[in-house]
Amino acid sequence: MSGVALQTRGRAWVVGDNIPTDQLVKARRVFLPIPEMARYVLEDEHPGFASGVSAGDVLVTGRHFGQSSGRAIATKAIKATGVGCVVAEYFARTFYRNAFEIGLPVLEVPDIRQHVSEGDELSVDIVAGTVKNERTGEVLEGRPTDPFLLDMLRAGGLIPLAPTLAGEATA
Amino acid sequence: MKLAEKILARASGRDEVTAGEIVVANVDGLVMHDLSSYLTSKVYEERIGLPVRYPERVTVVFDHTFSPADESTADVLVHDRAWAKRHNLNLYDCGSGNIHHVVARGGHARPGGVIVGSDSHTPVYGALGAIAVALGNDSHASMVLPYGKAWFRVPETVHVTLTGQLPAGTTARDIALWLTGQIGEGGAVYKALQFEGEWIESASFWDRWLLPLITVDVGAKCGLIEPDEKTLSFMAGVPGAASGTDHEPLRGDAGDVSERWSYDVSELEPQVACPPTVGNVKNVADAGGREIGWAELGGHGGGRIEDLRLAVEVLRRAPRHPDVRFNIVPSSRQVMAQALDEGLVAELHAAGATFFPPSTGSNQAVNMGAMAAGEAMISTHSRNFPGRNGSTESEMYLASALTVAASATQGRITDPREVISDARELAGVTAGVQS
Repeated sequence: MSGVALQTRGRAWVVGDNIPTDQLVKARRVFLPIPEMARYVLEDEHPGFASGVSAGDVLVTGRHFGQSSGRAIATKAIKATGVGCVVAEYFARTFYRNAFEIGLPVLEVPDIRQHVSEGDELSVDIVAGTVKNERTGEVLEGRPTDPFLLDMLRAGGLIPLAPTLAGEATA
Repeated sequence: MKLAEKILARASGRDEVTAGEIVVANVDGLVMHDLSSYLTSKVYEERIGLPVRYPERVTVVFDHTFSPADESTADVLVHDRAWAKRHNLNLYDCGSGNIHHVVARGGHARPGGVIVGSDSHTPVYGALGAIAVALGNDSHASMVLPYGKAWFRVPETVHVTLTGQLPAGTTARDIALWLTGQIGEGGAVYKALQFEGEWIESASFWDRWLLPLITVDVGAKCGLIEPDEKTLSFMAGVPGAASGTDHEPLRGDAGDVSERWSYDVSELEPQVACPPTVGNVKNVADAGGREIGWAELGGHGGGRIEDLRLAVEVLRRAPRHPDVRFNIVPSSRQVMAQALDEGLVAELHAAGATFFPPSTGSNQAVNMGAMAAGEAMISTHSRNFPGRNGSTESEMYLASALTVAASATQGRITDPREVISDARELAGVTAGVQS
């Protein structure tokens, strides 16, 4: 897998607080092939999302996004929708970890939903840790991302890095 | 150093680690259930393809499905079973029990060790004094299975001190529910919660067990309880460690405390987590007495022998309400055997309760427990998100076994003190069910 784009520009899709992975992808969908699963992402919470989302768009959400199950399938399904980044006030830690491991850029920005409305054009830079709302011109500062995790995105996720991390890479 | 730091330092071959640092540590146990082993095995076979380095450290428990209800689920189990056998993993098939009870009772998680799993309640092994963390399938497939390692960010530790003793009618499960509300969903993101204090010291092993279960719901990375004689006594009753995975139990340095949250449990009333989320916790008395058609002892927060004994005590004093289906799901085959031995199965059956195989029961309605719009269940399960058990218009309420059983007798969410009104008698009941 090649590296992941650390900048994106696209439309904002806004959902609420405390959304569990079960609502991102329901348990009965998790055995579908991932491209098919992507068609059901947020089917109850935001029924228009999966059919309307375009590559590079930004999913904007609130507190503790992606709580509940630690299975990486929810992050993989979101990535497969083509979303360029997920911005939350903060993430559930399993979701946050899985996102970097599978190559889905995410950024934590306090109070993000007070500054973004559904349909706004956003430019997100994961390295700089910023979100610019192109409609209002406002630039929002996010929490810095650990360089270890940025490197994981640049590598395309954990799998290409794993032998080196484990001290078992062969030259 | 604190306990979490000491365990991660030892597992990563360092003298010292500090919070915030990223380390690569040896993993003593990987635990997966039927859904997560399927997803992990797919990634492993498609993208990794190396031998499993330490198969004896990997345990697969079929607990979400106790018996496949359709062909596609049967296909998943056939795939998982073949994969586990091909790599010589520890395999516990359908009907073995709830994954975490099976793993703990099988000796696959041990004090001072590092345990990982996909199930978000994996941190429960913190009750053994282990560091136990939920990781995703790609961590398992790319690092744990081929190399026996995983990366970790060393968490900041919060000492959660529980003082006082519980009043009659309130149990360990009520503390767990209440703390979820007090700390709040996402109130402890990325932290290690170390449970301690007077209440923890006096509590039984299986009552302590209910505390690290909540760490995922408050956003924490893991929960820990320092091992003591009760922990070691539990470990003395389980099989020995897979080779090379046993460690000296560790305790944190006394006085090394960065942050402490203290809670007094001595006035705590019976608690219920109301839909739509686990953090929406109320006193049962304030929960409105919602009518329920289903009651269940099972899932991560129930199905212990103590829970079955409590149900018997309640049903001896008040009959099951005729409109309530009361499901009993033992957490393990050992609990089922013990319940048979103590006559609990016969008594609960005669009282109109229905036994289901050791499993996770109605969790996510994989084999049972789907509800239609307008229906409601009260249970010892750990999740109440809308749509998790059938219709998004159905409701799941989470409570203690005592409150679940009391509600099953009244047909509505009921404070157990309403069914057993004499406080001394009620205190005797809750004390009497301890092993």
